[in-house]
Amino acid sequence: MTTALVVAAFVGAYVLIATERIHRVAAALGGAAAMVLLGVVDAEVAFFSEETGVDWNVIFLLLGMMVIVSVLKQTGVFDYLAIWAAKRAKGKPFPVMVLLVSITAVASALLDNVTTVLLIAPVTLLVCDRLRVPPVPFLLAEVFASNIGGTATLIGDPPNIIIGSRADLSFNDFVVNLGPIVVILMVVFIGMCRVLFRSAFVYDEDRVAAVMALEEREAIRDRGLLVRSLIVLVAVMVGFISHSALHIEPSLVALLGAGALVAVSKLDPPEFLEEVEWPTLVFFVGLFIMVGALVEVGVIADLGEAVTEAVGDQYFLAASVLLWGSALLSGIVDNIPYVATMSPLVQGLVDSGGGSSEADALWWALALGADLGGNATAVGASANVVMIGIAARNGHPISFWHFTKYGLVVAFVTIAIAWPYLYLRYYAFG
Amino acid sequence: MRARDLAEPFPVVGLDTDAMAAARLMGEQRLPGLIVCDHDGRPYTVLPGSQVLRFIIPNYVQEDLALARVYDESASDELLGKLTTSTVRDVLPGERDIDELPIVDHDATTIEVAAVMARMHSPIVAVTDGETLLGAITVSRLLGHLLPIPGQP
Repeated sequence: MTTALVVAAFVGAYVLIATERIHRVAAALGGAAAMVLLGVVDAEVAFFSEETGVDWNVIFLLLGMMVIVSVLKQTGVFDYLAIWAAKRAKGKPFPVMVLLVSITAVASALLDNVTTVLLIAPVTLLVCDRLRVPPVPFLLAEVFASNIGGTATLIGDPPNIIIGSRADLSFNDFVVNLGPIVVILMVVFIGMCRVLFRSAFVYDEDRVAAVMALEEREAIRDRGLLVRSLIVLVAVMVGFISHSALHIEPSLVALLGAGALVAVSKLDPPEFLEEVEWPTLVFFVGLFIMVGALVEVGVIADLGEAVTEAVGDQYFLAASVLLWGSALLSGIVDNIPYVATMSPLVQGLVDSGGGSSEADALWWALALGADLGGNATAVGASANVVMIGIAARNGHPISFWHFTKYGLVVAFVTIAIAWPYLYLRYYAFG
Repeated sequence: MRARDLAEPFPVVGLDTDAMAAARLMGEQRLPGLIVCDHDGRPYTVLPGSQVLRFIIPNYVQEDLALARVYDESASDELLGKLTTSTVRDVLPGERDIDELPIVDHDATTIEVAAVMARMHSPIVAVTDGETLLGAITVSRLLGHLLPIPGQP
């Protein structure tokens, strides 16, 4: 009876999150509260159990990166880079888009997608205004690039952080396994931009002067802070790359980096906490408790057993279903709750594979499906929602269907390319 | 002292007045804002100078002030050019709350006038007698009255 009630509470909260009938934080906290009231979750289960509790590595990795971004934002480095890129492209719209999406993809691999979008969108609007080209294609291309680029690393997309922590995968594991396909996808995506957004590439020689007159150096507010921040950022990246050798969790690397940046920046708390999305962190806490309750009552173990039995040793079939299924579901619901729920199930499948590369590849199928599938619709990833909001505030509304018209094509093509990559790398020659 | 005693004649514009003309009026007469009247000559709302700037300066620059520094001087002409194709109606904020108009009755006390200005962040309040506009009180006029000059009774 308790199990049925727990499942009902979980499904109820999930429906509320997916349909956004109430704020997702309230839905997740309500779901977590229901688990406590049903007597399944206590403090031990919620806060201290590695199996069923809040994944503090995820929470603190996110918190650390958000503080790092808060300080980086104060430097104006993104405004500088984007204007520099527009001038390097000599104001020609397609080269401008190529450079902007490339910057966005790289930044998204190193920072959170939502933050990258928040940083790159204002200066993109400025460049488009100067060029008198429609900004919506540029904003769409950037958010797609952000979701693709973020797939490459442990810290690039919140689903990856959850997967990395649950599967004990390192920063380098992500780069080595997902980096190559993300580079391929970006090359293909840039080619797609040429076709998808061709009507936006109107070259006006007179407008080029307006772009070339922009003073990108003026965007740097504090040169000293910029230098100090970049040094710390490089140290954090070195920390991520070597965290396995150093035996320091990525969450601690991020927190140490955040602390170092706060110390060298001498900013006040409101400034270095500006980009910390407390609602997102609380949402994660609620989700972990909800999923933990399913683990506690044995639902995940039962499901895992059934799935393992069904899969047998057909891991490529399982990877294919996971890739396409995750892409489909991530387009419909936010990919964060989806991955939080799927991770324990995939964990069971991978464990049953006894550490074979065929079984381990299921994690990459989940990451690729969830991250790339986020591009499919306007609500597929948090970055999409944020970008649409920025566009609307600046007088360029993007409808759900307008976004989805392009997003579906991008998501389908990228997943279709990731599929043979999985096969060739882990099953044909693995 | 009552609002009618403090009210001064004040320039008025209509909803369909050219936005550039309204902005010029503010600039030339150093006014903190203008009273906007409807087609029947009744006070409709107040257009503060800051709202004109909010209209001219792109939203993305207001959100990311570092971007304001990257423009060259000639860009300001282009930004101001937005006013030439707009009316006062376009410059006003989207939603007008009928209960939140910076208008006081001629019988209002100085504290009432100050409270309306403070509540609505408005540098001007229009003073009316029924539907007739008597004039306006600016924040400088009000403070001049509220803060006596040292040495004078």
